[in-house]
Amino acid sequence: MKVYTGTGDEGKTSLFSGERIAKNDARIESYGCVDELNAVVGALAAALPEVAAADAVRTQLGRIQSDLFQVGAWLATIPGSPAADHLVPFTIAYPQWVEEQIDLLDAGLEPLNAFILPGGHPSAAWAHLARTVCRRAERQTLRLNDQDALAFHGARELLVYLNRLSDYFFVLARHCNRLAGEEDVPWHG
Amino acid sequence: MTVRDDRHLHTVVLTRRRRLAPGTLELYFDRPVGFTFKPGQKITLVDKDLRRDYSLVNSPRESHLSICVRIVPGGRLTPILDRAECGENFLISPPFGFFIFQSAHRRAVFVATGTGVAPFAAYVRSGVRGFHLLHGVSSERDLYYADELRKSADAYTPCISGMRSASPSADGAHAGRVTDYLQNRLPPGAYDFYLCGRGDMVRDATRIIDRKFSDSRVFTEVFY
Repeated sequence: MKVYTGTGDEGKTSLFSGERIAKNDARIESYGCVDELNAVVGALAAALPEVAAADAVRTQLGRIQSDLFQVGAWLATIPGSPAADHLVPFTIAYPQWVEEQIDLLDAGLEPLNAFILPGGHPSAAWAHLARTVCRRAERQTLRLNDQDALAFHGARELLVYLNRLSDYFFVLARHCNRLAGEEDVPWHG
Repeated sequence: MTVRDDRHLHTVVLTRRRRLAPGTLELYFDRPVGFTFKPGQKITLVDKDLRRDYSLVNSPRESHLSICVRIVPGGRLTPILDRAECGENFLISPPFGFFIFQSAHRRAVFVATGTGVAPFAAYVRSGVRGFHLLHGVSSERDLYYADELRKSADAYTPCISGMRSASPSADGAHAGRVTDYLQNRLPPGAYDFYLCGRGDMVRDATRIIDRKFSDSRVFTEVFY
């Protein structure tokens, strides 16, 4: 199957709900960031340490990648359009699940009493990058919200999800260093 | 783009073959228990290492599944389907895809080339009415499902690329491609376009829509 269609050669693309809009529209920027985040999560999963304890993280990341598709689909749909009927409702269960994963990971970490520099094991470095891309996705999505372009049932939960997810990646970065037997690098400002 | 998991394939039995035109068949299979789908969705037909996607033509209310197959001479899978006899088993994937009709206040324009008319036949068999259908074919004999589609459409326009403009046949037909019709005949306005067919048609039609019908919505299903 060919990957290219040529339908976007003149700078427009189709939303899930069918509208043709410019590729530099805020909505495209928003779900483009989510797509970028998903790619970073893939790189993170590929960089996990080869230890049995990483399997649980791999499972978490697989679910996150799948859930980010749901996020992207909602952002690619004009609120109120019939296409929204084909989407999975975005409920509070999504951010709640992330909170549970944060708590699980955090329970095994030493308390933090200093800022840490992004880095360490490659998987931790990817997790820090995921955290920052997630923050950008959140900022772009908030811009849509400010334009009243996010008026669907579940929009608030989606914003909470992105906010919580970047917290997850911060904790995961520390967890990855722990799995790999590496220390967090403190900031000596 | 999807990667299907073979663990979820269904075994189905070929129950009926119906010739729609020379070189084109509608194949009927028994419907597995619990197999639910929406009109416009497709399945992957699997035969050993060969797999091809086909839109389902039937309504979800019917007890069978059917697909529209154009036999490609020298192809790998379609000659096997051409020779297949009732009672033979095939593997199919669960239904997938989002080329699903979405009712709206705007006028719907369905644009198909060749067997790309299949999902529109599924729409009609599921009760969709009041649309304008453009069906692009090279010859009048390839206007599959014409009677069914014409009855349910507000306007049904065969676009016959091989027809001379003076041809008296094919009542209401347009001598030329579907893209010619969009460019030169369809009145300006905001529509919901549903495009199904070859990639070049979908690309060219989308470009025309962007320029001439820019407030429209576009849903596409490309096959190769």
